[in-house]
Amino acid sequence: MKDLRLVIKLMMAEKKDVLLSILFGYLAGTAAVALFANSGYLISKAAVNPPLYILTVSIALLKLFSFTRALSKYGERFYSHRATFTKLSNLRVHFFEKLEPLAPRIFNRYRSGDLLSRIVGDVESLQNFFLRVYYPPIVMVIVFLSTIVFTSFFSVPIALILVFGLILTGFVVPLWFAMKQRGIQHQLREVRGALSTEVTEYHYGFRDLKLHQKLDSQEEQLLKASQSYVNEQEKYGLQAIYSQSINQTLSLMISWLILTIGALFVVEGQLDGVFLAMLVMISLTVFENSTPMASFPNHFEDSRRAAGRLFSVVDQKENESTLSPGNADNEDGELGALNVDQAWSLEVKNLSFGFPDEPRLALKNVSLKIPAGTKTAIVGPSGSGKSTLLYLLLKAYPEFRGDIILNGKSTHQLKAENIWEGTNVVLQSNHFFYGTIRENLLLASDDLSDGQLKKALEAVKLEDFSLDDPVLEKGENLSGGEKQRLAIARAMLKASHLWLLDEPTSSVDSLTEQFIYDQLFMEDEDTFVLISHRLKGLEKMDQIIVMENGGIVETGTFDELMRKRGYFYEMKQIEASIL
Amino acid sequence: MKQLKEIARAQKKQMYLLYVLALSIGVIVIGQTYFIVSIVDGVFLKSANMSDVLPSIVGLLMVLLARALFTYLNGRIGMKMASKAKLQFRQKLLSKYTKNPIQASLKGQSGEKVSIMMDAVDEVDSYYSKYYPQMIQTSVVPLIILGTAFYLNWVSGLIMIVTAPFIPIFMIIIGGATQKKSEAQLEKLAAFSGRFLDILQGLTTLKFFGRAKDKQEVIRQSSLQYRDATMDVLKVAFLSSLALEFISMLSIGLIALEVGLRLVVYQHLNFYTAFFVLILAPEFYNSLKELGSAFHAGRGSMGAAKKIIEELEMEEQPVIWGDKILNGGAQPPTIRLENIQFQYGETGFSLQNVSAEISPFAQIAIVGKSGSGKSTLLQVISGLLQPSRGRVNINGSDLLEYKESSWMDQLSYISQDPYLFSGTIRENISIGVKGETSQIELEAAAEKAGIASMIQELEHGYDTTIGEGGRGLSGGEKQRMAIARAFLKKPSVILFDEPTVGLDLQTEKILQESIYELSQSSTVITVAHRLHTIKNSDSILFISNGELVAQGTHDELTNSNSDYRDMVSLQRGDVG
Repeated sequence: MKDLRLVIKLMMAEKKDVLLSILFGYLAGTAAVALFANSGYLISKAAVNPPLYILTVSIALLKLFSFTRALSKYGERFYSHRATFTKLSNLRVHFFEKLEPLAPRIFNRYRSGDLLSRIVGDVESLQNFFLRVYYPPIVMVIVFLSTIVFTSFFSVPIALILVFGLILTGFVVPLWFAMKQRGIQHQLREVRGALSTEVTEYHYGFRDLKLHQKLDSQEEQLLKASQSYVNEQEKYGLQAIYSQSINQTLSLMISWLILTIGALFVVEGQLDGVFLAMLVMISLTVFENSTPMASFPNHFEDSRRAAGRLFSVVDQKENESTLSPGNADNEDGELGALNVDQAWSLEVKNLSFGFPDEPRLALKNVSLKIPAGTKTAIVGPSGSGKSTLLYLLLKAYPEFRGDIILNGKSTHQLKAENIWEGTNVVLQSNHFFYGTIRENLLLASDDLSDGQLKKALEAVKLEDFSLDDPVLEKGENLSGGEKQRLAIARAMLKASHLWLLDEPTSSVDSLTEQFIYDQLFMEDEDTFVLISHRLKGLEKMDQIIVMENGGIVETGTFDELMRKRGYFYEMKQIEASIL
Repeated sequence: MKQLKEIARAQKKQMYLLYVLALSIGVIVIGQTYFIVSIVDGVFLKSANMSDVLPSIVGLLMVLLARALFTYLNGRIGMKMASKAKLQFRQKLLSKYTKNPIQASLKGQSGEKVSIMMDAVDEVDSYYSKYYPQMIQTSVVPLIILGTAFYLNWVSGLIMIVTAPFIPIFMIIIGGATQKKSEAQLEKLAAFSGRFLDILQGLTTLKFFGRAKDKQEVIRQSSLQYRDATMDVLKVAFLSSLALEFISMLSIGLIALEVGLRLVVYQHLNFYTAFFVLILAPEFYNSLKELGSAFHAGRGSMGAAKKIIEELEMEEQPVIWGDKILNGGAQPPTIRLENIQFQYGETGFSLQNVSAEISPFAQIAIVGKSGSGKSTLLQVISGLLQPSRGRVNINGSDLLEYKESSWMDQLSYISQDPYLFSGTIRENISIGVKGETSQIELEAAAEKAGIASMIQELEHGYDTTIGEGGRGLSGGEKQRMAIARAFLKKPSVILFDEPTVGLDLQTEKILQESIYELSQSSTVITVAHRLHTIKNSDSILFISNGELVAQGTHDELTNSNSDYRDMVSLQRGDVG
């Protein structure tokens, strides 16, 4: 609920549209009631030979109410949807503000793709919050109240019955079902998850299932999961219909009660018979406003969950590491800054780190030294901890054991922004935004001329690209190699002096690769850290660090390592023997 | 959508029940009106006593309860039909997929298929739970109301009959316009709505470039543009509702006016009839309008159903096996490749005339450039692919004359990227084995595959669950899991697709040792990328462009085939 309150707060920024939605909703609701009340009255009055002007006025009113009803409904829809979409925009911006400081820490875990699309989906699903949860009850209550006040002029007991009906159909029943629905919804999500797992295993593991002759049993399991999912869906759906039916029954019963009591009053002379038809019509119509409340429980529950999940992402505190926060940032202390115009040296002391939810440590007691202005390669098989080390250097995860020292200062004493400003980072997968090549390159700095951009493209052999060429989301119109080269060009334009490169050329052919490295290493004042899976072209590096299983196996220059005939030498042998 | 309707019609009992219910609801609407009117008429004009109208009051109560009950039943039947249809669709898809040959699963559309089986099937729901029952109701209830109106007061009936067609006509006209409009906007909408995700995905990059804060405004702008584009489409839809509302309101107003005038001015009608018609009129138009919203729900289903049916109608050639039993025996079977030919699709890559004899316990290496057809050949031998011509001969008979399971039981296939199922490590290692596996056997297999110590380090040991697709294990560990599977299964034939990239040294060593040990008790056919493997094999099948160009030992081929020599020496020149 706390999260929904926040959503409401964001929503109220669009006061005008919210109020207009409520106003028009109210007009539409009361106009419908008035329309039917009026026609009931018209007919009854007509039956007792009234003066003609009463009929004329009634008929004029009839038209007026018809038009009011239809136009207000349009207004209600228009403003409520506009309010909703504006609210979504506010919500996105607000959420981005909250999420931004947490990146990249919360993204570097697997399934971060899922996390992001979930965030987007949750924001999207909150659009129902205003449309179906927030304002309809408000409209319902005021329409009812007006109707009740109007009715009380004719018969107080009948007005009281309406109050009773409102409470019952508008609140008691929906809330009761909302509570019941919660358990079913939870169960439904569970079985859907189970089925989704079975289906995924079936398709992605198809070949292995076939080879192991397990297709039949997997098929059986899948069908079983499908059956229980469908059963659960049915249960959920039936519950919804049931709740609707109960609501409908109750409102019909209320109308019945009003008719019966009304008839009694007419017989006893407490009520003029000419109003009976009107009161019945009122009661039949006004409960149309409480029918949408039947779907209230589902939408409420969805919104509550979506809001809860969204805010749980940004509320995550930094207690994510499996290691105790031995020496996390001293939040009160002044954070210093390094001069970003010089190449930094780098030192890692007894560094250990584990990802949350993973029992094994990703880095175990790693120590290394990289002097300023040198070129270092970190090599090792996949899963050896190379990329994790790079992320730690970037202060993406603030909690670890040991120390990382940049140019003599511990990263605990440095702002992450300062570190990022002083580094050129090329990751294994780099993001490109929807836009043009130019826009994507200008990320490096705003005051770059087209000539400089073109020069950078030439340095990575992308001179065929025009700066105005479009880039689609995630750069999906670019090949893997093109994206890598573009990322290097972008890093070159940033022109900081510590390079952190994670497999930057794995999809680039070796000739181009060589050319690019020649370009890069022209900046021979800079400090280079290159993570590589392949062992080619490492002869020029000042230092090679070999990692396996989260630890450093050996360190040395290419010649030293080859002479030593150790791990690196053997890896080199294997790589050479692979066709 | 024809197919959806057919499935609905196939559920005859439910369909008839829906008609019966619709008929009942129609009658109930009339009954409800009748009782209400009788009561009001009675006490208001006829000065009746409560006791006079009591039967009507009780009757009304009954009818109202029945109406709620029947509406519930109506929804319930729709729900049941939807459940049945969804189950059927999943079943059909599944039996179709199970028959699929392996190349269908290689087309890299697993994600698409998962979404069809989950989401598309779910979307079919509203056709049965909403649209179909509503359609039946709309085809019955208004007719009953219309009939009654004609019976009571033909002028009102006439107004209904004249105005009613405007509702569907307007729905169609405006529905078409909305669709056109939204199609025109679709691209724009997709672009705006994707922007938020795009920026979130790039947040890490943005941070490293110190640009994250700038993007806030982009999000706001694109969200607002999205809003405006959406509102453009919605406005048309809302206008259509407005028009419909006008039509039904004006028609009701027209009827009210008509009965009012005829009641007062011409005195053609009495209060009873006038009131009756007045209550019936909204029921009539509501029932027509409801079809509109149900139709909207049904349209989504139709798109989904189209996807499912396309998938079901896709033709695939299944591999057909016989039922001969392949006896295990003391030694592996003799495998003869006889003029094997295979082609992907009509014009796809093909494998040509591959013939070779593989004797029991042989170690065979398949060698060639990437894309030359090595893996395809391995899959043909495994029986995952059926050769278009020629055959794999096992112990004198065509492989496909054997029972599928009797061949697979003797086979281990270790691919470059073994799939690990969600479950425990124990389940994953023993997946290929029938019956129970003892802990001792399990540990022995893990030991030989070099993962025993890693498993023991885990808190839950062999009962540790590994996630979907074996997340949490490195590439090398996955390879070793696959090797452990083979050690436990003790197959007589092993097909091995050697990894193209180097793994950690330990895994590399284990792969070599394991394959050597496994080859003591089985025939091993390897798509080889490592010189070591190639040199140690008894015979090499050298494949180029889908053709078997040479066959022999490493030394023989180095001497006789220059292409082979080039390929191998190119690598060797690079060493050190």
